Amino acid sequence: MARQLTPLGRLLLVLAGLSLLGYGLYKYGVLGRIAGIVAPEKRAEGTVSRDDFGASPAAAPESTPAGTTSRASLGGGTRLNRPIKVAIVLWGGYAGGIMANGGLAPNKDSVFSRDFGVQVELLQIDDTTKSRDAFRAGGDRGGVDIMWDTVDAYALEYGGLARLNPKAIMQYDWSRGGDAIAVDASIKSVRDLKGRKLACAEATPSHYFALYVLTQGGLTNRDVDWKFTDSAVDAANVFKAGQVDAAVSWSPDVYVAARERTGGHILASTKEATNLIADIFVARGDFLEQHPEDVRRFVGGWLRGVEMVHKNPERAAVLLQKSLSGVNTLDDAKGMLEDVKLPDYAENRAFFNPQGSLVNYQSIYQTAQNIWRKIGKISQVYPGYQTVDTRFLEGAAEYFPQAGTAKPEFEFTAPSKPRAEPILTKTVSIYFPTGSSTLDENAKAVLDTQVVELAATFGGAYMRIAGNTDNVGNADANQRLSRARADAVARYLVSKGFDRNKFEVVGNGPGKPVASNDTDEGRAKNRRTDFEVIPR
Amino acid sequence: MDVREPVPRQRARALALAGLLSFLGVWCVLSYADIVPTVILPSPTEVLRAFPVLHFEEALVRSAGWSLYRVGMGFVLSALVAIPLGLLMGTFPAVKHFLSPLVDPLRFLPISALVPLFLVWFGIEEAMKIMLLFVGTFVYLLPLVVEAVENVDDVYLQTATTLGASRWQLVRHVLVPGSLPAIGEALRVMNGIGWTYVILAEIVNARLGLGHIITVAGKRSHVDQIFAGVLVILFIGVVTDWMIRVANKQLFAWKS
Repeated sequence: MARQLTPLGRLLLVLAGLSLLGYGLYKYGVLGRIAGIVAPEKRAEGTVSRDDFGASPAAAPESTPAGTTSRASLGGGTRLNRPIKVAIVLWGGYAGGIMANGGLAPNKDSVFSRDFGVQVELLQIDDTTKSRDAFRAGGDRGGVDIMWDTVDAYALEYGGLARLNPKAIMQYDWSRGGDAIAVDASIKSVRDLKGRKLACAEATPSHYFALYVLTQGGLTNRDVDWKFTDSAVDAANVFKAGQVDAAVSWSPDVYVAARERTGGHILASTKEATNLIADIFVARGDFLEQHPEDVRRFVGGWLRGVEMVHKNPERAAVLLQKSLSGVNTLDDAKGMLEDVKLPDYAENRAFFNPQGSLVNYQSIYQTAQNIWRKIGKISQVYPGYQTVDTRFLEGAAEYFPQAGTAKPEFEFTAPSKPRAEPILTKTVSIYFPTGSSTLDENAKAVLDTQVVELAATFGGAYMRIAGNTDNVGNADANQRLSRARADAVARYLVSKGFDRNKFEVVGNGPGKPVASNDTDEGRAKNRRTDFEVIPR
Repeated sequence: MDVREPVPRQRARALALAGLLSFLGVWCVLSYADIVPTVILPSPTEVLRAFPVLHFEEALVRSAGWSLYRVGMGFVLSALVAIPLGLLMGTFPAVKHFLSPLVDPLRFLPISALVPLFLVWFGIEEAMKIMLLFVGTFVYLLPLVVEAVENVDDVYLQTATTLGASRWQLVRHVLVPGSLPAIGEALRVMNGIGWTYVILAEIVNARLGLGHIITVAGKRSHVDQIFAGVLVILFIGVVTDWMIRVANKQLFAWKS
């Protein structure tokens, strides 16, 4: 007796068939493959760890001579018959130029105009995207010729601007306290950030700073729960509101946020990581081509302004407050000046020389580009020498006949007895022959890639070098040996140009194991040198 | 051409096509002839080439899905709140006057200024984005619903009253059906407004989203990707608009 199916029955049967088919497709990965074609995932995000920072030989800049340009001299071009237009933001790093210009507007009585024969107009454009729009438009079309940037962010955005053939021409400051990480009460060191919510503006100096601190402290980019905001100010605000456990932002917002949240404090700032965030001017290629002489004078005039700021910081603060919108009091202006370090002519030269400073333009650019590529922010890379033009800086030498070589900047009081807790501890395995405290070439190479850059980047912080051993052998002897080895490491670092007082040397012997001494693997982990970064 | 002279259907289509082609022509001339530098105005080929990049590297389709979800949620929420409230206000002027000091100024609400506040109130996850889209569309929808109810001709109300309709029956059988076609039109407008606010909503902590793609492209000076992202939004906007229009036609056939 065949029974007719009701319409509902038919529908159910079809549905059952379809779901079986769907399950089959899903089970055997067909659906996944279809989704991969129709709606692929975002480009995979790689892992960034501590080994991605530091001048590893592979990433070392090409040994192009210091004046890394196609042409050696500054010939050609015409003089500009309008002011040079420069995009800046609310930030103390522009004090040099503002001082030389007597404000933001071009004026005949400025140092730029009187002593260097150029008119300069500084335009405060606080919105990053808008300043890039202005740069793309160019000074002849109502935009700007030169814009602010940081080396790390420049490495990221170079690809989008490559058609303009932009070049970095000078450095105007190092962030020194301007960028910081605010954390809640439960976070005492970088390791505590593991698994926590961290807010910052994506692909900005804040992001880069966070990646640096995380990786040097033994974590990777995947160890924190990133919450990306549109601006650094937003990041500070969501932290203040308790939406996240930590935030990277800039001064003064980050300090206000840390103060206003109960238990909030600053974990690390560029006060310690002194040589990480470098602010630079980037000029359009066509502008450099057409008016090289004006650019040379601009660079000279700006760095003369830096000298003026160093001689008379009071006046610089007054002018800063008067010129920039958003500086409410004179104290604010002074604070802004304290958050930056304005490099002078000699320091600028050292910065753009790949063999100059330990941390320099090329090393930061290469490292940053590598990092952004690894986390999928860029797919195309550009060699560092293509992004910079040092002819103008070199051509400005005549204005600074007294300029010597850059001097060590930080003074550490002896004997160094840093009291504070370390911000982060970088653990490195350095191989010593049994019973010996001599560094071989291999060990030196490890120090060069893993530690020299860390010590230079945290230029303003103490570093405790703690030697550790496993439990094999006599504990006293081990303790003495670990101390001697740490000493050898410190001596090597001092030979690289660091102040001896920056380092504190400790021999822990077998006393501070990080793994069990019962296995070979554990003992290998315990034979290590800890580099603790400690704020001054 | 006379004032309001009707255009036959075929000619209307030809005109639309001509408009589109001349727009494309101007774009081609300006960009290919390098009258406007490509870093400011990318050429059509560059914009086309941006699509595979966005598709394979930036998850364009998934992003569009997320944006649709956010706009859709904001749309549904604001319809759920604004339509009953608007009906109430349109039906009983007393309610309207009571709420007017709150509702009238809302139309001037600067939504972009609210982003930092919403971050603090609703956090950085989806709630914040949907709330932003909800508020952004709600403030426009509510006055339109009220207006739609008020525009129902008094003649119908009087007829129904004469026929002995109760207060509930007046609402149920006169005001609601009378205003629904206009409300349907208002919803169409809301869809458009939602797609303009989605950029703002996706500024913060949106791993995927068309607004996110456009914002990031802007920051990295990828003008071609901005154009591509905008084109996708325009496309989705036109398609959803058409869907709502068809739905309106089907549901409120009595209008005509």
